[in-house]
Amino acid sequence: MASLRFPIPQGTLDMLILQILSLEAAHGYAIAQRLQQVSRDTVQVNQGSLYPALHRLEQKAWLKAEWRQSETGREAKFYALTRAGHKQLAVEKESWSRLTKAVQLIFNEGS
Amino acid sequence: MARIFNLLPWRRRRLERDLDRELRYHLDRRIEDLKRAGVSEFEARKRATLELGGIAQVQEEVRDTWMWGGLDVLGRDLRFAGRTLRRNPGFAAAAVLSLALGIGANAAIFSLVDQVLLRPLPVHHAERLVLMDWRGQSLSAQWGSWALLSYPLCRDLESQNRFFDGVFCRHPTGVNVSTGQQHELVQAEIISGSYFPVLGVRPELGRFIDPSDDRDRMAHPVVVLSHDFWTTHLGGARDVAGRTVLVNNYPMTVVGVAPAGFRGVDPTSAPALWLPAMMKHIATPEWDYLLNRRAFWMHTFARLKPGVTAQAAQAGLTPWFVSILEAETRLEGFPVVTAEQRRAFLASTLSVEPASRGISEQRAGLKRPLWVLMAGTTLLLLLACLNVAGLLLARGAARSRELTTRVALGASRGRITGQVLVESGLITAAGVVLGLGAAPAVFRALLFFLSDSSQLRFGIDHRLFFFALGAGVLTTVLCGLAPAIQTARIPLIATLKEKSELGTARGVRLRKALLTGQMAFTLILLIGAGLFVQTVAGLRAKGPGFDTGSLLMFRVDPPSIGYPEADADRAMRTLLGNLQNVPGVEAVAVANTHMLNNSGSSSVFTVQHDERIVTDRVTYMRVGPGFFSVLGTELVAGRDFSESDIRAPGTPEIAPRVVIVNESFARKYFGTRNPVGHRLGLGNRPTTVTDIEIIGVVKDFSRRNLRDQGLEQLYFCFWDRQSADGSFYLRMRGSPEAGFAAIRETVAKVDRTLPVTGLTTFESQMDRSLNAERMLSTLSSAFGMVALLLSVVGLYGVMSFVVTRRTQEIGVRLALGATRSDAVWLVIREALVMLGAGTAVALVSAKVLGRMVEAQLYGIDAFDAPTFVMASGLLVLVSLGAALIPAWRAASVSPTEALRYD
Repeated sequence: MASLRFPIPQGTLDMLILQILSLEAAHGYAIAQRLQQVSRDTVQVNQGSLYPALHRLEQKAWLKAEWRQSETGREAKFYALTRAGHKQLAVEKESWSRLTKAVQLIFNEGS
Repeated sequence: MARIFNLLPWRRRRLERDLDRELRYHLDRRIEDLKRAGVSEFEARKRATLELGGIAQVQEEVRDTWMWGGLDVLGRDLRFAGRTLRRNPGFAAAAVLSLALGIGANAAIFSLVDQVLLRPLPVHHAERLVLMDWRGQSLSAQWGSWALLSYPLCRDLESQNRFFDGVFCRHPTGVNVSTGQQHELVQAEIISGSYFPVLGVRPELGRFIDPSDDRDRMAHPVVVLSHDFWTTHLGGARDVAGRTVLVNNYPMTVVGVAPAGFRGVDPTSAPALWLPAMMKHIATPEWDYLLNRRAFWMHTFARLKPGVTAQAAQAGLTPWFVSILEAETRLEGFPVVTAEQRRAFLASTLSVEPASRGISEQRAGLKRPLWVLMAGTTLLLLLACLNVAGLLLARGAARSRELTTRVALGASRGRITGQVLVESGLITAAGVVLGLGAAPAVFRALLFFLSDSSQLRFGIDHRLFFFALGAGVLTTVLCGLAPAIQTARIPLIATLKEKSELGTARGVRLRKALLTGQMAFTLILLIGAGLFVQTVAGLRAKGPGFDTGSLLMFRVDPPSIGYPEADADRAMRTLLGNLQNVPGVEAVAVANTHMLNNSGSSSVFTVQHDERIVTDRVTYMRVGPGFFSVLGTELVAGRDFSESDIRAPGTPEIAPRVVIVNESFARKYFGTRNPVGHRLGLGNRPTTVTDIEIIGVVKDFSRRNLRDQGLEQLYFCFWDRQSADGSFYLRMRGSPEAGFAAIRETVAKVDRTLPVTGLTTFESQMDRSLNAERMLSTLSSAFGMVALLLSVVGLYGVMSFVVTRRTQEIGVRLALGATRSDAVWLVIREALVMLGAGTAVALVSAKVLGRMVEAQLYGIDAFDAPTFVMASGLLVLVSLGAALIPAWRAASVSPTEALRYD
């Protein structure tokens, strides 16, 4: 099964995290699960790289974090997007779509 | 960059704890979910951990983001800034050099200000030291210039242990010391036995003088040596205690050595040795009033008890001091004075002032000039900052296309602003390093203007380090702020659409504002320079009141190398006779003091004409026959001293018989009467005999320094008593320097071992007496010139930029019929607006700053209109010169080419 899933491209993890959190605040475990669900198990997210990414985004002030009660009643660290984070997400989406369009164009030309 | 705070230990601990909780939560939830899916507890735990890829590893990676995330960006910015600067060596050099100038000057002057004015004494709890002073009528004779008390009063104060942990007193003096063959004039402190114990310093070796060394007159021939003297003169010998040194040719036993860095209570002097007050007669044989309550010569310090303030001590001492005053009036020998003077005496108070920085006569004179200089250099640094900010702005404008593109491509404006700040930080850091490298040279140049600078050194200690760091941070922000704001506000679309790369109107406006500031600072510095230069010129032109052109002076002190008084007196007479026959010497005379060195004796006198008047303190000096004619001053009445006033050699000390007064004295105490023939007496006691006849009146001239004017002075006859030491004054034919060798030879013929000290032309003595003024005028002129240069370069840059930006517009105007002079005017007008605004700001500030420098000026008003006009004129002239080059370029624009210009 693992061989069918391809590893997430470099640098897109940040964008995916921002995207997930743009809907609602969530803790690390929830983000990991959501990543699995929304990518329909096609993208392999190394859970070990999730937390460094979260902390990196927090340090860049794109995310803010607070300790809140989770659905199980235990305190968990919830991440949410800051205004700078929203902007960043827009920028990344924009450049992503340009990139994919460009790649698509090249592919179309070739065929 | 806030990430740097993650290094703080408490911050770090919280981050670690939170990370731990976070990961544990993840694991627990995963294990729970797996278990619910039917996986065994053991298997679930294993899988959860495996999925995470090793907890320790995750922790490590997260920790990296805390730290390196920020540092990485910083490092990249630094490399980028470094590359940019390397690519623009001209820009980098201009920026770094102007900052280095500002920071070097600031560091040097701060170091001096710190050592002379700010730094507390290197003793135990210096902040608890206080200095006592007599406020009011003390009816005393004084040796020294301020904060003087009598030695008995100091000892009385020792009993006041309600407020003080201890009291000590000291008197600075010069002594001749010999550890073998050579005699050498060194500084010394006469101290009460409590000096070292109260200051709380530990001896380097041996022991210090203590109260048991200060009990009976002449019974304690002991000295403590300074660390410097011990190492330079005795090779740092560990067995030095017990050795004998000659102090003014009197054998004294070394008991100990002070620790390195301890230089007594005057931060601007460096005593070589300390001796107990009871041995005062050895150090200052010419006046010996150790136990006289009306002889004020001691600086009296105390150490406050913990928790007692200076004000509390002063208030608390008042009742005791009142009783002392009353007791003193009842003592035998208290001067008989008018009821009014007595009331004034009894109304005297004893002030207690904080004295953590000790006492320094030099400091008193340097305080204001140094602060003025510090203000001047700060202004210079600000100006340099504006200059660099202007340069960065210009560069930012040129790069606006690039920056906009980067913003459009997703760089955050914060990152770009950060980059500008990193760049200005890098420039500043280079400026600080270069500036600190240059600071010692500036410092040495400053010392040149100090009369005694042996103990001042430029060293980078923690205080200077923090000063430089503070200046650096401030400079970074000041230099980088305007450019950072500018780049942060670049309008995206407009700039991208703009055809030329020359930036926005906003950038130009900002640069013009900066330049206006530069103009203002420059003008302030120029006005200051003008005022100080004229002060020195004015004092020099006024002179001491006689022709100084061909005058020489030097001093000999035979008793200091062991001459008995009578032999010394004979040697002085022989020397005077021999000097008269030296070729090139027109006339020679002797006096007891060196002129224009801010020192001199003073006393109160009793004048007798129709009534008996007690004078205020009057300075006096003893001069030989012909002294006034050597100087070239005139007697306006009566006669000079003559042969008949000279007593035979070897006559023991006798009271003076004749005196010459100056015009101010005559005016004050005799009004319109002719004082010649009247009498006065030394002192103000009822028993004071007024038997000194006034034989002449001499014109006023400056004696202690060039600023004193209209001071009452008395002149006694040098040979009226045995005179063991003195200064010779010679009027030379031709250049006075030519006489130096002949003089040394003549002295050597009398005694080869007799040292000639203070041999100098009167002119250079005058210069030395103007040291503080010359320091201000030289440095402020230098600052003014540097400032002018910086702003002219800045102006040239901005105007060239403006012309380039408006080339097309100028071309259109020319094509539509504007003349060349219209084009020139277009550019010059912009320069004039900036100049006008800058001048207005400067003139208003100068009005305020004038008050700060008023006391430093002489013969010129702080708001001297001609100076203001001249300085503004200079600035306008030079600035217009700089603006003319770009203006001329504007005028030579070819309309056809400009219109084609894209």
